Amino acid sequence: MLVCLFCRHEWAEARLDETVANSDIATLKGTTVGSGAGDIAADASSVITLKCGGCGAEVVVNTAEQMGARCHWCRHVLTVNEQVPNGAVPDAVLPFTITHKAAVAKINEFAGKRRLFADRAFVREYKPENVVGVYMPYMVVDANASADVAGVAEVETRRYTRGTDDNKETVYDADVYAVDRHVDFTADDLTIEASAERAQMNSSIDTNNVINTILPFDTENAVKWNASYLTGFTSEKRDKGVAHTTPALEHQLLSIARSEAVASVSRYDRGVRWERERLQVHGTRWLAMYLPVWLYSHYQEKDGKGMVHYIAVNGRTGEVMGSVPPSTGRLVAAALTAGTVVEGLMIAILAAMK
Amino acid sequence: MIALLLSHASAAVIAESSSSGPVWLLLFGPAAGGGVYYGLWQYYRNTNKSHSFETETRVTAQSVTGTDQKTGEVKGTRKSSVDGSNVSNHRQRVQRVD
Repeated sequence: MLVCLFCRHEWAEARLDETVANSDIATLKGTTVGSGAGDIAADASSVITLKCGGCGAEVVVNTAEQMGARCHWCRHVLTVNEQVPNGAVPDAVLPFTITHKAAVAKINEFAGKRRLFADRAFVREYKPENVVGVYMPYMVVDANASADVAGVAEVETRRYTRGTDDNKETVYDADVYAVDRHVDFTADDLTIEASAERAQMNSSIDTNNVINTILPFDTENAVKWNASYLTGFTSEKRDKGVAHTTPALEHQLLSIARSEAVASVSRYDRGVRWERERLQVHGTRWLAMYLPVWLYSHYQEKDGKGMVHYIAVNGRTGEVMGSVPPSTGRLVAAALTAGTVVEGLMIAILAAMK
Repeated sequence: MIALLLSHASAAVIAESSSSGPVWLLLFGPAAGGGVYYGLWQYYRNTNKSHSFETETRVTAQSVTGTDQKTGEVKGTRKSSVDGSNVSNHRQRVQRVD
């Protein structure tokens, strides 16, 4: 809920699906881009100037860091609600429903289960109350597509044993098939990272995959953009447009098509090797959204390299996922103990067989 | 390192007892150590986790259509599945055709 600071009137912005064209996805043709999901102008600056509606003064806001400011002359609150070509203003925002207290409890539960083998610096510096509410930028895409896949499949016809006592082996006979499948489908609200830094998922240098894991959000409940929803939270500016996120969308659509084809090839008990795939995207609808994430971070420096470990809580569903840096020494001790116990058992079994 | 140490130890025992019993049982020790290390590491780091968009998105699909044509037979193969099976690895991209 938003509250007017002057008259205490409470209101919420209209749900996005009540304010934008929301036709049947199956009839989507071409590319429809929401006004907040447009291309980012190459010369657009993050710094914009707002004119105060109270006293007329001009106030400078860096939209990479905040989406509002107080007029330093008359204390009037100014927010960035008009579309600007730098990607800072999305079409919609999904407000937080998980409170700070609930997020701390979720993080405590997650980290509590991972204390014993955690890096000691993580345990020492652990302060879950430092969790920060962040609105992360995403492209939310509806798509109407068709896909074809083709490959080789096999059905087992016979299984038998070959060889003598010591050299027995199981061998198989199989029928080989050339298979192809076609599927027409629609996908509603595919959610793709629209920040280049967060979209990079390389687990050897970052832990962005844990933020990706807490998807999906109930994006159908997103409301029309109003910068006042960001009060008390931080946000990250979108820096990827439709063209940059299209490869990720196509990857997701092809993966969905392959997933849909699974049931139709269940008779091939020796599996299928898909070799070729084709995607036809008939229509897409793109909206830029700020989605709510509670983020706890821990900076770890190891062997001269730094890595930020996140524990992320979905600000709507409460789904939690994270990366806790493990202590190598403790893991080695656990592995040695388990290995020694099992090895001891095996030696005892061998001795008994003599 | 652990695996290395344990495999040295196992190799020594194998050398001593090469004439009796299924000595491959000794591989279970290093395997258990490696498994515990990897399992715990993954439980803490979760590097293999990501959003399951294939199942967690509202997808409406028409009936899947297609053809199946027998092209040959395989006799006496030791492989229990088709070479390079990717039927359940939906995210492995293959040759894209237009």
